[in-house]
Amino acid sequence: MAEDLVLDTAIRDWVLIPLSVVMVLIGILRYFVSKLMRSFQVPDHKIVKEGQVIVRARNLRAAANFIPPKSFRSRRVYFSNEENGLLFVPKGQAQNAQAQMFSDPNMAMDMMKKNLSMIIPQTLTFAWVNFFFSGFVAAKIPFPLTQRFRSMLQNGIDLSTVDVSYVSSRSWYFLNLFGLRGLFSLILGEENGLTGAMFIRYLGPEDSKCVWVMDRYAAVVITGISKNISKQVTMKLEYHP
Amino acid sequence: MVSETEETQLNSLENQVDNGGGGAWEYLCLVRKLKVRRSEKVFKYGLSILNDPKKRSALGPEEWTLYEQVAIAALDCQCLDVTKDCIKVLQKKFPESKRVGRLNGMLLEAKGSWSEAEKAYSSLLEDNSLDQVIHKRRVAMAKAQGNISEAIELLNKYLEIFMADHDAWRELADIYVSLQMYKQAAFCYEELILSQPTVPLYHLAYADVLYTLGGLENLQTAKKYYASTIDLTGGKNTRALFGICLCSSAIAQVSKGRNREDKESPELQSLAATALEKDYKQRAAGKLGLLTSALRSMKF
Repeated sequence: MAEDLVLDTAIRDWVLIPLSVVMVLIGILRYFVSKLMRSFQVPDHKIVKEGQVIVRARNLRAAANFIPPKSFRSRRVYFSNEENGLLFVPKGQAQNAQAQMFSDPNMAMDMMKKNLSMIIPQTLTFAWVNFFFSGFVAAKIPFPLTQRFRSMLQNGIDLSTVDVSYVSSRSWYFLNLFGLRGLFSLILGEENGLTGAMFIRYLGPEDSKCVWVMDRYAAVVITGISKNISKQVTMKLEYHP
Repeated sequence: MVSETEETQLNSLENQVDNGGGGAWEYLCLVRKLKVRRSEKVFKYGLSILNDPKKRSALGPEEWTLYEQVAIAALDCQCLDVTKDCIKVLQKKFPESKRVGRLNGMLLEAKGSWSEAEKAYSSLLEDNSLDQVIHKRRVAMAKAQGNISEAIELLNKYLEIFMADHDAWRELADIYVSLQMYKQAAFCYEELILSQPTVPLYHLAYADVLYTLGGLENLQTAKKYYASTIDLTGGKNTRALFGICLCSSAIAQVSKGRNREDKESPELQSLAATALEKDYKQRAAGKLGLLTSALRSMKF
């Protein structure tokens, strides 16, 4: 079972490298196409305000120790007040985020466009790989694997005795799919790292509502500017006169 | 806020350019990045680059940003013709651009035609009602016309939506202090401290406002904030040292009749006084006499 197969260097030259190059090029192409196709989304008042409220509430929580207790309390009430607190989301509405996301036509279109722009090149490339590069051993994985991986990695190879480390080009395709994300973020800036991520969660209002709920129930214990600040400063002035 | 390293870098570049060594473009880029207001220099050096066609073409696409930068600097230096030319060039290149529209509005402002500028800004806001810069320009216009109450109103409305914009909070605090509305100014400074708790400037300003408000509780809190300013600046802030001495003497006066809660304050005070004396000895030895007599009169 552990024969050493010698792989033709031609495989490396004509399969592995071209496949990687093609995937990189397709990624770059997709990036530019998405840039062209991006529609200018008119920012919604409510969403902008929500975002800012969250930032402000987060600042309040983070720096709560730096303001007097009275001001902190008044701000906390302002945010989490039962009647008109900015962060207060009555129980019924909190579940709406998901539904709202799908019903809002702009957002739905945007999501669809993003998904499509990823799915189509992936499908095409996969089909291309299957058509041209199937039926032979493409590479050897440097570490040993169990037999379970055979069906996954050796798809075109119909010999059951070949070591599982010898994989077909389909697995090389998948490897590239997930691995080139880092390369893209290097070349293209942080904009496009989305090569292989199949399950991108659309970070929209859904997340912000979660943050709201968290902020609302955050138990914050503060004591205002530390009572010991005078002592601390005294010590500082003593040691560094 | 500009950090110290950035400030030294800026100053050294400025010196270099002033004395004839090259680097004007880097200087302009740095000014743009740090958003400092050095309009005269920007105007001088920017214009010299723009008037030289070779240097201009060497900039490539950055040329237009330079046009914008020089236009704004020219407005500051009241050279409206230069601004008009720059805007014309930009408009030819980018018709229908909001940024150019904003420059037009600023030009109208500089000429003093407030109503036309207001019209220009409102039309820009119609297209995009969430344009932060235009909102802020309207506030600036109200302030420039002397209509402070309207400026406050506009700024408050702006902050209702964009409440995480700390520059706006800072502006509002300044306006309130200028109108002596110290309670509201204190609120704004609290917001600033919340968003940037490690900037000693805000602690100091907040302490000043609290000290001005007066009252035992405020004085005690002010003392704490002066102390935190000293903490954050490593003891170098003269104003905070003075603040501590003044606060302690004011607290002593206010609580003369009541039972004094003797904290560690006497130590803090004497240390602050010593630090002040040392500072004056180093930097302004002539005024040391004044200082010692003032400190003595503040004795508790």
